[in-house]
Order: sequence, then structure tokens, then C-alpha cells
Amino acid sequence: MLRTVLLTLLTLLIAIGGGAGSLYLFIKSAPPIGAVHSGSWTAFPNLGTTHTDPYSRGRFAREGGIPLGSAEGIVFTATRDVAGRPLSRRCTYRVEGAMPSAQFWTLHAADMAGTPLPSLGRRAAALNSQMILRRPGEALAITVSPHPQPDNWLAITGQASMQLVLTLLDTPLSAGFELTQLALPRITQVNCDA
Amino acid sequence: MLRLLYAIVLGLVGAGIVHIAVLLMLPSYSERDIWSRLSAVAGPYAVVRLDSNALGGRSPAPANPFLVPAACRFDLADGPVRVQSPDTIPFWSLAIYDNNGLNVFSITDRTATDRVLDIVTLSTEQMQQVRSGVPDELGRSVFIETGLEEGIVLVRVFAPDETWRGVVDAFLNEMSCSPVVLD
Repeated sequence: MLRTVLLTLLTLLIAIGGGAGSLYLFIKSAPPIGAVHSGSWTAFPNLGTTHTDPYSRGRFAREGGIPLGSAEGIVFTATRDVAGRPLSRRCTYRVEGAMPSAQFWTLHAADMAGTPLPSLGRRAAALNSQMILRRPGEALAITVSPHPQPDNWLAITGQASMQLVLTLLDTPLSAGFELTQLALPRITQVNCDA
Repeated sequence: MLRLLYAIVLGLVGAGIVHIAVLLMLPSYSERDIWSRLSAVAGPYAVVRLDSNALGGRSPAPANPFLVPAACRFDLADGPVRVQSPDTIPFWSLAIYDNNGLNVFSITDRTATDRVLDIVTLSTEQMQQVRSGVPDELGRSVFIETGLEEGIVLVRVFAPDETWRGVVDAFLNEMSCSPVVLD
């Protein structure tokens, strides 16, 4: 009798504990499905839509959020430079290259949870296509640095790692064009504070 | 011994079933999706700015410093929902989310007449009714047909820099979200 009860408990423990536990681990640690990579940049065009797999949908339900719809634009994030080193808030980076066509774009620095970095004085850690200085005949160049820089300066503060978030608003790319063959600006490290 | 093995195998099969069942139920029981968060702080047709103050200290990540989102809930049983603002701004985009917080439709100001925000969301039956004779006040509206019964209309406004704050605030304060009565 006792044996039967114990065996039943064991079965239930494995079923409920194992089922819920494996799902939690899967959603928490398995890499998200449906990513599109271009250089250092990663985007999830189907995030938060009805076109995703159940795991992505489950993860999205746990995290919440209001991702841009496919007609509104697309968000790329980068956590590493072109050499594969994690982006640090103590380093200076050059973001150079052509921007894909979009009505507007914005570039901001955020912590690893996605919260935008605090402003440095009155300078927010964010730039957009309306505030950019362009030199004729030269490609777009932005300097991401904790120290003042000439031309386009994205001011960052702090010590920890960070990510760069590039948002293209109203771009033909998001409406199903070849995202994988897309050329986005390259992130190269210039130097780091000791 | 054999019974122990049997119990373990049965447990593993059960684990698989629990795994799939919880996975499929997760979206409808989530309390963090935008529908649940908005329902917690505002009634239908109330326009809410989605910053951290409005949503109980947690704004939905990831936030873009230049985009100001505002949303309202609707129920098409009350009639088509009309979202409009008389002002003009550099850029707005609009998305419709279902009651699980999933994005089902989106549009930008490029599609609208003179880039003015005037969007009417309606069901298939309401669309047929409108087709038979568009009411005069909806003459310049963009119609979006949806299979949803209830959902969220979310408008994002682009504020290029601090000097635009006033214009963006005015746009969102003037923004209305209300059901339309069709005769």
C-alpha cells in the first residue's frame, strides 16, 4: 500500500516538476528562435506576432513588451563589436557605414536588460537621423564614447557592458525583404579606458 | 523494481504532457503582456501614455528614447473604433495588438491621407456596412478590417529631440479613441 502511494507520488513529482522545470529552463536559457543576423547586429522580425513558434510566444508572454509591427519598422541590437568583443561602457567605438533606407532611424545605448542608459549631463545616450552631421562624400560615422568627441557623439556612462540598439522606422526592409543580405554600419573598437 | 521503472517512465511521459500544456497555456495566463497591463490601469477607450508611471513602475521593454507610445483598448461590439488626432508631427505609426498582447497589424503615417492620424478599425460586418455608404465624418479616415473582437490600438510618436516634447504632448493629449456609431 505504502509502496503504491510512494510510486504514485514519484510519478507525479517527475511529471509536474520535470515538465514545468524543463519548460522554465528552455524559455530562460535556450537561444531565441527566428533571429536574423547581419554583422554584429541581431533582429527578431517575428517577435510578438502570431507567426512565431510556441516557445518564442511563451517567452514573449513572460517578458511582455510592445515590439514594433512589421510595417512600423525593425529593431537591431548589437552586444559585440566586429571582432567579437562584448561592448563595454568604458570603451570608445566607431559605428561606420551606410544606413539602410528608412524614413527615420535612431541609435541608442542600453543596458543588457534593454533600459536606455542614463544621460551624460544633458546629452542622452541616443542619436537619431535628424541630429546627425553628415560630411559630403563620406559614409555615416558615429563615435560611441564616454568622452566628448567631434561630429556625431553618442555619450555613454558607467562601467558595465552595454548593447547598442538601432531602430529603423518605416523601412521597406521590414516588409519581408532580404534581411540577411542587409548591410548595416560596422562597430569597431577604437580604445578603452584602463 | 519493475514497478519503480514503470513509475519513472510514466512520470517522464507526464512531464512531456505538462511541458506542452503549460507552454500552450502560458500566453493566455500571462500578466505581463500589454493587454493585461493596460487592463490593470485603464478602462476601454482611455488613452494611456505607456511610460513607467502609467504602468505601475514597469514600462514595457525595450524602450526607445525617441518614441513615445500611447494606447487604448477597444471592443468592436461597441462599434468600430476611431483613433484620431488633429495635429501633425514628423512621424507616427500605429499597431494593433490582440488580447494576448500579440501584434496583428501595423501601419505608418505614410499610408494615411496627408499623414494625419485618423484610423478606423472595424470588423468584417462593420466594413460591409461602411461600404454601402461611408458616413461623411469618416470621409478621410483609413479603414482597417480586423478579425479581432477586442484589442489594443497603440500609436507611437517620434520626438526627434527635446524641443519637440510640447508638440508630441499636444498630439497625444488631443488624441481621441472612441467607438463610432454606424446607422
